[in-house]
Amino acid sequence: MKKLCPKHIRVLGIAASWQGIGFAVMENESRLVDWGSKRGNGDKNARCLSHVGNLVAQYAPNVIALESTRLEGSRRHLRVQSLIDQIVRMAEEEKIKVKRFSRKELSAGFLSNDEGTKHDVALHLAARFPEELGFRLPRKHTLLVNEDCRMDMFDAVALAEHFLRSGE
Amino acid sequence: MEFIHTHFMASKQLPNYLLSYRKRSALSQGEVAFLLGIRSGSKISHYERFKREPGLQTALAYEAIYQKPVSELFPGLFEKIQREVKARAKILEHRTFSGNMIQVATRKRKALATIVSAEAKSQSTQS
Repeated sequence: MKKLCPKHIRVLGIAASWQGIGFAVMENESRLVDWGSKRGNGDKNARCLSHVGNLVAQYAPNVIALESTRLEGSRRHLRVQSLIDQIVRMAEEEKIKVKRFSRKELSAGFLSNDEGTKHDVALHLAARFPEELGFRLPRKHTLLVNEDCRMDMFDAVALAEHFLRSGE
Repeated sequence: MEFIHTHFMASKQLPNYLLSYRKRSALSQGEVAFLLGIRSGSKISHYERFKREPGLQTALAYEAIYQKPVSELFPGLFEKIQREVKARAKILEHRTFSGNMIQVATRKRKALATIVSAEAKSQSTQS
């Protein structure tokens, strides 16, 4: 299998959740440039949007990869859906292409079936990027404990990596 | 099967990858500042966000910290400088080296041809 890409394709993966956002900047050949998560207090959407703006200004990505929240089965909160819509509008203003992937597409892209959990995908990514993500893998989420905010970062890496792998 | 991303404009290479290397090593900006012998961590932020270029001593200290050559830590900056040097080498190539012995002139031309034909360093930091 061969990939033909322009010299520098830069993708900004953004995973929004109830806690804030996870972000990952990747370049072709799956080079992880920047990654992390941002938790927002108060007006979460404004803070997160401002952070996305800073990332766009700093890295000038060609593409922003986001989660599809409009699909049937998506249970994202209205605030998160609104944040994603705001990011899409920002991308359009900056003339940046947007690609959206559903959770099923991500699971199918990284695992042998589309029934895997977010943690399974995170495990795969931690093995793929041991130096960058290996030591940041959170413990598996249980019903009694809130999901670790680092999981947003893994989701963002998954979105960016899936875009680079799919070649769409 | 071939994947083609040709409908996306290629973006410019980033001036440096200092932030990536610092995050990989799990060092804080303050810790890197300490290793570099700099008092404030804000300078580190400026370097990492491309707002400021470090001096030679700091660049070499970065090489010692991250164990990567300076040209790999600063590929965008290196490419820019390399392009400028190549352009100047092309100008120098067309000069006649009067007063030089033939062997010296030949050697100079060979050195200049090497500079002009040098390939830009590819990204090899994903290791």
